[in-house]
Amino acid sequence: MAKKEITLNVNGKAYQVSVEPNEILLNVLRDKLFLTGSKYGCGIAECGACSILVDGKVQLSCMIPAIAAEGWNITTVEGLADKDGNLNPVQQAFIDRAAIQCGFCTPGMVVTGTSLLNQNPHPTEEEVKDYFRGNYCRCTGYTSIVEATLMAAEKMSK
Amino acid sequence: MKNFAYREADSKDAILAALAELKDAYVIAGGTNVMLNILDKKVNDRTLVNLRNAKELRGIKDNGETITIGATTTISDLEHSELIAGEAKALWQAAVSFADPTTRHSATVGGNISNASPAADTATALMVLDAVVTIEKKGAKREVALTDFFKGVGKTVLAADEIVTAITFKKSHNCAFIKLGLRNAMAISVANVAVNLVKQGDVVKDIKIAMGSVAPTVRRCAEVEKALLGKKLEDAVIAEAVKGLDKDISPIDDIRATGKYRKQVAPVLVTRAIYAACGCKDGGAK
Repeated sequence: MAKKEITLNVNGKAYQVSVEPNEILLNVLRDKLFLTGSKYGCGIAECGACSILVDGKVQLSCMIPAIAAEGWNITTVEGLADKDGNLNPVQQAFIDRAAIQCGFCTPGMVVTGTSLLNQNPHPTEEEVKDYFRGNYCRCTGYTSIVEATLMAAEKMSK
Repeated sequence: MKNFAYREADSKDAILAALAELKDAYVIAGGTNVMLNILDKKVNDRTLVNLRNAKELRGIKDNGETITIGATTTISDLEHSELIAGEAKALWQAAVSFADPTTRHSATVGGNISNASPAADTATALMVLDAVVTIEKKGAKREVALTDFFKGVGKTVLAADEIVTAITFKKSHNCAFIKLGLRNAMAISVANVAVNLVKQGDVVKDIKIAMGSVAPTVRRCAEVEKALLGKKLEDAVIAEAVKGLDKDISPIDDIRATGKYRKQVAPVLVTRAIYAACGCKDGGAK
């Protein structure tokens, strides 16, 4: 297979990487850019642990060939905090509400929550639950995650 | 080992040229079916032709009596379109029941119908809206009614050098879509139904009903339609008419449900969808 030199724009930085067409974006983010926040949970678009933002909207990095993502505006969980390291409201709310147990689903959850509040700043509880339907958590039972997201929405609307 | 070459094609002309040139082209847009097909080892040793950046193929156009959607319009685009929500409600309902918001940011309508799963939710809705598919290859264009587009499970009339570029369908103010899955989210349809209805006074002037996941292809329920034309929409009339589903559908046993279950549930879904489309009982399409 032919390797291609591409530029990936991730978290405001331009990364030059060499990729083959069969490499998925998730693995390139983790193994070549060392952005290991996005997790390989299933690799088959079922669990949401690999969630990233493309132009502020959540997508699954395990379903994207890295070579196709050249030039995209990509944000991973590592890019949610501001340049001074202040966590974004969704991240902070997850901590405040203790919506984290083992933490494996958390990057995907906060990315998805950020995407939701980008699109719908005042979601109802039902809308939050609906938006997260593709993100699986085996630990928390989801209640705290939904509450944290609603808390973040409230904080952001002040 | 997954072995692929890759070709970027950011305009319709570039896509059609690539398909004419490459004998092993395999188009990818949102990737939500393609990547899974690759992982399932159904596809290998091909050249992936990326349609995702061809902006001219993405968009929703209001033509007055009809709407045209570009093939790489995402399901999320449909979900957030006031035009679709207001004038093609069945398609909107299919879009919001589709996978999850994350998948919808990538998945495209063209991909949904070209993959030709009998469970393709947008196909069922489009079929009752008299959808016509625009198919192009280098130097040629043709239009095929959606009712003629599917040939079997995963099979369409598309030749190897052709792609769907747009889908055009009629607006409707009395249509509805219902999806039954094994759970309320992230489910592949066990059965789905769409209805598009025109009434004259109390009586059905025209009705189109389509079902998915109950036959090798999404299809119209002609027997049920016939039995309802010219009739009043009452419980007894509908109950009699849905018996025609026995002829219209041929569900099989698969990992999600048995054929017997699908035969039992189909009349229930069709009845609910008819009432939803006319807005004359609870659950009406508002």
